[in-house]
Amino acid sequence: MDLVLLLAEIFTVASAVIVAFHPNILYASVFLLFAFCGVAVMFLFAGADFLAGAQIIIYVGGVTILILFAIMLTQWLYKIKLVDIRNKMLLPGVLALGIGFFLYRALHQMALSLPKLTPEALDKFTATPKTALMGQALLGSYLLPFEAITILLLGALVGAVWLARPE
Amino acid sequence: MVQSAQFAHSLEGWFGFLPLWGWAAISAAIIIYFLALPFGGLATYVERKIAADMQDRIGPNRVGPLGILQFLADAIKMLGKEDFVPKGGDRFLFNLAPLFVVVGSCTAFAVLPLSKYLIGADVNIGVILILAVTTLIAPGILLGAWASENKWSLLGGLRAASQIVSYEIPVALSILPVVLISGSLQMGQIVDQQGWTLFGENPATFHFWNAFHNPFTFFAMFILFIGGLAETNRIPFDLPEAESELVSGFNTEFSGMRFGLYALGEFCDVFVMSAMVAALYLGGWHIPFLDIEKLGFALPTALVAMVHLTVFMVKTLLVVFVVMWLRWTLPRLRVDQLMGMCWKGMLPIAFINVLGTAVWMWVFKGQSMMQLLAGHG
Repeated sequence: MDLVLLLAEIFTVASAVIVAFHPNILYASVFLLFAFCGVAVMFLFAGADFLAGAQIIIYVGGVTILILFAIMLTQWLYKIKLVDIRNKMLLPGVLALGIGFFLYRALHQMALSLPKLTPEALDKFTATPKTALMGQALLGSYLLPFEAITILLLGALVGAVWLARPE
Repeated sequence: MVQSAQFAHSLEGWFGFLPLWGWAAISAAIIIYFLALPFGGLATYVERKIAADMQDRIGPNRVGPLGILQFLADAIKMLGKEDFVPKGGDRFLFNLAPLFVVVGSCTAFAVLPLSKYLIGADVNIGVILILAVTTLIAPGILLGAWASENKWSLLGGLRAASQIVSYEIPVALSILPVVLISGSLQMGQIVDQQGWTLFGENPATFHFWNAFHNPFTFFAMFILFIGGLAETNRIPFDLPEAESELVSGFNTEFSGMRFGLYALGEFCDVFVMSAMVAALYLGGWHIPFLDIEKLGFALPTALVAMVHLTVFMVKTLLVVFVVMWLRWTLPRLRVDQLMGMCWKGMLPIAFINVLGTAVWMWVFKGQSMMQLLAGHG
């Protein structure tokens, strides 16, 4: 099991690195698609099967397609090489290292405060189906935030239709 | 699920000599060689024969008896062709794109409920998984179209992607009533609950085919079928290919086996969509009004599995036949008609179906029409 997870992690990080550094924006978005798929595999290994499916439907089937559309319909955008001539390394490097350090510390502290699971308990946790529990939670104890988000999304949808209306 | 974890553990004892990824690779190979390739190949032959019948011709009749080996000859011809990448095209994406289509449509075979005892992986999120992996087809078509460096291709690809993204919504909304009824996303469980029989006792959770659960699911089945037609780019929704306006659309520049992969992916997708209609709405492996496991005497499991498989295949292939029949019956839609039909026609009906099913479940306490008529449950 762990080998597959390790491969998925390497795959995701490698794709993400290509997304960040590839000069061609079209290639960057294709590798973004791969990174999304890798994240879905990681969700599977964390026992979040519904999230994995939703990740692929929304991010691969929706967001990536939209990005590809925008690139292909904008004239010559995909032929521009996005490379900075001046090699700015110092400030971004320091910023990235700083943010990375604080993120690592925060996550490390959080990981220490979590209860330790034995391998058997972990296996049992990942094998329990959570989709039904999630549905009950969303339409039960978290109904208000759920409905608030749906109203927000409906507003966004109506706004988009209004912006795109023929004059 | 704990039971299935124990089951997996016991399997590990038998099959432990290979790691998990080894089995994953072997199952992928089995799916491709025993399900996807034979179906995709035979579907090209059957489609030509049906077309010939409808146009009063004979169709392929030279290779093998009744021309049935024609698809093998075609495959060999395609393998022998030059692997051509258009000048100015993007070689990397051009080579990559057909793989998306094949991976997307073949992976869905894994969760198809061929029989109660023969499901590749009866995963917890079966229906969602089919929806998720088939979305990979859209980027495959779009990238292939763009990498061809051809205006017809790009137009076809853009049409395909917008069509697939739009029709995904009515398709997902017509799966929801089934999920509401069965309270599960697991394919095996959804099909199992449709096994209402005339003889013997029926548990309260057993309905007849979901298409006849209530009036709304009957219409939801047609929305699912039409949406599936549009998602697989079949006539009357074949605007991405549209020979008369776009040469051959997104696959104009593809030749040889790369074109073959696109065609294989499309036929597999047709099969998956038809299987979904059959499993979700037409009772999957169940013979109507009869449960071969409740006949009073026990049949061997292998025989039950074979009967289930046959029934499921007959239902699925009937839906596939309707898909091919429509091809020679209906004219192609225009782009604006296509989008208008999705957003103004099918989407509201799909919403009504979901709401109506929810209200029905609340009013009649989840009983189906058949259970109400029979007066039990």
